[in-house]
Amino acid sequence: MKFKFWIFAIIILVSLSVLRSSHAASSYVLPYPSEMPGSRLYELSQVIENLSQFWNFGSFGKFGYHLKLSDKYIVEGKTLFEYKQYLLAYESIQKSNQYFVKTYPNLQNAKTESKDISEKSQVLNEASIKHIEELEKIKLYTPDIFVWTPEKKPPTKLQIHKLLIESIEIRKKNQ
Amino acid sequence: MVLLALTLFSYLFIDPNFIYMKNLYTGFSLNFREMTTFIYLLLISAFFVLYILLLKNVNFFSKKIKANSKLFIFFLVPLIAYPAILSFDLFNYIATAKILFYYHENPYIIMPIEFINDPVLLFTRAANKVALYGPGWIAISGIPYLLSFGKYILSIYIFKFFISLFYIGAGMLIWKITRSLFSVLLFMASPLIIVETLVSGHNDIVMMFFALLSFYFLRNKRIYFAIFFLLVSILIKYITIFLIPIFIITIIFIYQNKKIDWKNVYFICFLSMLLIFLLAFFREEIYPWYAIWPFSFLVLSPNHKVFLYSFISLTFGLMLSYSSYMYSGSYFGLSHAIRMLFIFFPVVVFFLYYAFRKTIRLI
Repeated sequence: MKFKFWIFAIIILVSLSVLRSSHAASSYVLPYPSEMPGSRLYELSQVIENLSQFWNFGSFGKFGYHLKLSDKYIVEGKTLFEYKQYLLAYESIQKSNQYFVKTYPNLQNAKTESKDISEKSQVLNEASIKHIEELEKIKLYTPDIFVWTPEKKPPTKLQIHKLLIESIEIRKKNQ
Repeated sequence: MVLLALTLFSYLFIDPNFIYMKNLYTGFSLNFREMTTFIYLLLISAFFVLYILLLKNVNFFSKKIKANSKLFIFFLVPLIAYPAILSFDLFNYIATAKILFYYHENPYIIMPIEFINDPVLLFTRAANKVALYGPGWIAISGIPYLLSFGKYILSIYIFKFFISLFYIGAGMLIWKITRSLFSVLLFMASPLIIVETLVSGHNDIVMMFFALLSFYFLRNKRIYFAIFFLLVSILIKYITIFLIPIFIITIIFIYQNKKIDWKNVYFICFLSMLLIFLLAFFREEIYPWYAIWPFSFLVLSPNHKVFLYSFISLTFGLMLSYSSYMYSGSYFGLSHAIRMLFIFFPVVVFFLYYAFRKTIRLI
């Protein structure tokens, strides 16, 4: 009886630890949602965003710029999905991906310039984990495919889950 | 002699992490704090006594200086001093310049600490901050940085030499504006100016040089040059932005062909810079080198004797205030209180002496 108890206890402990590790949350902190599409300041924020790419020169600067915007758009996408603004949310996740794919090449550039990228690589890794966490969460409450039918415009078929899976894959490459 | 002693004394302050001068490291300032503080107080006091004597006997010295203007070169002796005796800002200037001109990154978004394994992180303070200075300073700091060809020790002395050019330039401008040797000596021989500019290598002198240049052109009614150089000054360290109201009013007076009392203009500039200097106390704390801002204008209008001597007393207090950290190794608690006491003690003594003399005269 005692032996069976210990076997049971070990199995429970092992499975708990496995479960814990598979759900380990990233300590990376995403920003608060900023201006949302439709807001008057949104257009202005887009202009500032485009202009600030010139301010963020250098491989570290560009890395930070792209990662910051990738973070921003993933938060924007998540918020818009929660409000069922699927088309806008879909576009935000696409933007987040566009920025995310530019992070790693900038780290590689920094490495060729003999800069120590160990800390930044760690940041990128943690960001990837956090992004994946959020994308997985979005997948849980969104439809696989959604047909967005605006007034007086042709409908758009949004393959939401396909996009989310692609987004996760992009981030997994950087882990 | 005092300058040479101060220069040699500075090498007792070499940081244990300053790998480029590890052969000269003695640990004296850390292990013999009482002795170090005593020597410092002695040197600074002697320096101020000589300064006052120089000012009191300016006519005697003027003959010597007119006979041989190269005597000013003696003021440049502290250029060879170790810069981080009282402040680590020069290391920070070099680190910031390195971010832009070596790593090709924007120092306003990337901090020195982000370049892991860079040896300068061992001894550079405030490496966890992005650039604090104006773009004008960061741009021109490229000159000394690039001239040092990546050699750190060389960069220290080239930065100091570069900054000393503005010290000399400021002296020449003061001469051109006032034609008074008293004003020139008041500024160039000031222990605060010499220590903060030639020993510590603070860039405040660069900002004030351009501010003085701006007012020099304004006085000569070359308005566009004046505006340009005021803008350059603002872009060095922002503080001279507070001169804009006086600047605009003066331009209006010039266009209206009104008679301008320039000494009054300089005195108002002094007061506005003094206000900002004192307000720094509420923002962060009073750093001694901030006194360069008001002092640069006070020397142009030295006829306000009470202001002049009380300000000189304040500069003495500011120099003395370093001793509290030197002795205790702490910036906080009692050390901070003593520091504040040191700053204002000579000013209080001056006013008491002034009041005493006034009373005696009345009696």
